[in-house]
Amino acid sequence: MNKQNTLTLLESLLIDYASGSLPLALEVLVESHISMNPSSARSIRMLLQIGGALMENSDPISMSEGSFKRLMDEIDGGQDEEIAKSEVSNDNNKLPLPLRNFISEATFPKNWRRIGIGLSEQTVDFGEELGNAKLYRIAPGFGVPSHSHDGNEVSLVLAGGFTDEYGSYGPGDISIQETGAVHKPVADADGECIVLAVNEGPIVLTSPVGRLLNMLIK
Amino acid sequence: MNLRVVAELISSLDISMGSGFSNDNQNNLSEWDRLLLRVGSDRDRFAFKKLYEHFAPRLKSFLLRIGSDMSAAEEICQESMIMVWRRAETFNPDSAGASTWIFTIARNKRIDKLRKDNRPLPDLNDPSFFQIPVDKSDDILQRLEEEKKITNALKNLPPEQAKLILSAYYEEKSHRKIADETNLPLGTVKSRIRLAINRLRSQLEELEG
Repeated sequence: MNKQNTLTLLESLLIDYASGSLPLALEVLVESHISMNPSSARSIRMLLQIGGALMENSDPISMSEGSFKRLMDEIDGGQDEEIAKSEVSNDNNKLPLPLRNFISEATFPKNWRRIGIGLSEQTVDFGEELGNAKLYRIAPGFGVPSHSHDGNEVSLVLAGGFTDEYGSYGPGDISIQETGAVHKPVADADGECIVLAVNEGPIVLTSPVGRLLNMLIK
Repeated sequence: MNLRVVAELISSLDISMGSGFSNDNQNNLSEWDRLLLRVGSDRDRFAFKKLYEHFAPRLKSFLLRIGSDMSAAEEICQESMIMVWRRAETFNPDSAGASTWIFTIARNKRIDKLRKDNRPLPDLNDPSFFQIPVDKSDDILQRLEEEKKITNALKNLPPEQAKLILSAYYEEKSHRKIADETNLPLGTVKSRIRLAINRLRSQLEELEG
């Protein structure tokens, strides 16, 4: 997909993020993206500020009778529940903070499953049906077999970089593949590339070898 | 007139003109920002009550406008305000004003609720849960300037454009409803919303000049 379309889809993705309507996998992907990309962080900041202004300028509608007292009772009665501290380590330092809640430090290095030459994957469990999420690790200079997507796919480069028919992507960049789009990403030669890909539907490999792989990764 | 009196006079003028020249950034904060800071530092119940009386009815109204039903709106308000009480000490007026901060909390609460209603999930103990993205040059003056511009720009929007901006915050199901009612594909509805946001953004950037 060309850069203009990607930009357009990215803008929509950021709006959906600000309004809170993304499935968890995409929510975490966007959060990881804005932790790496100042320009998108500024967009989110603006969208949250607009939301705040719209909220504050809404004509007040009274809360139901006694709601403040009920609130204070709850605050006084409730054990000031500890806000769960996330057990985040710095070991997976290739992973942005928002993602580390979903990938265990212990299993991350072990969970890679080799699915091709210079290509491994591991599933990230977001506990949701919507948004099938995987990490891909591509060795320097190696590629993912040409494939199309049965459903939109959003990918975020976590480390290294790759190039496909539509452009080059580095750390923090998002690439969006629409249903039916075919691409063949190749990792940059200077380092391994790690990508988080969230897909609405199964990937369909299109090259002959890929078709063989289709059977393996099902 | 001694120096001290002059100094006081000057500093009071500074406040009344609302200028950004004061060294004391507290003077630039809104009433709500200051109340929120007091809740954070002193667990000030009176300050919290004032915040509640101001924000809860506005948040409720906003939630109803973007598609929540009455009971969900009340519940999200209550849960958000509990969070405001509990997390007030993490409020940082450099990166967000009270309304942006509370909006963000409510956004997260609403997601939580939608997720719980649909499919059970482990608790989202995300460290960035309450963060407003930071800007390198984060400071109160810049943040106040941004929020002032947004408030002004929103006030001056033609009604049609204002509706589109609001609809960016609708629940997903409302977008589908709009698509059904207008006979437009969902993608087109979203695209028009995106264009309205982009237009607002360029209006804000023009104001910068």
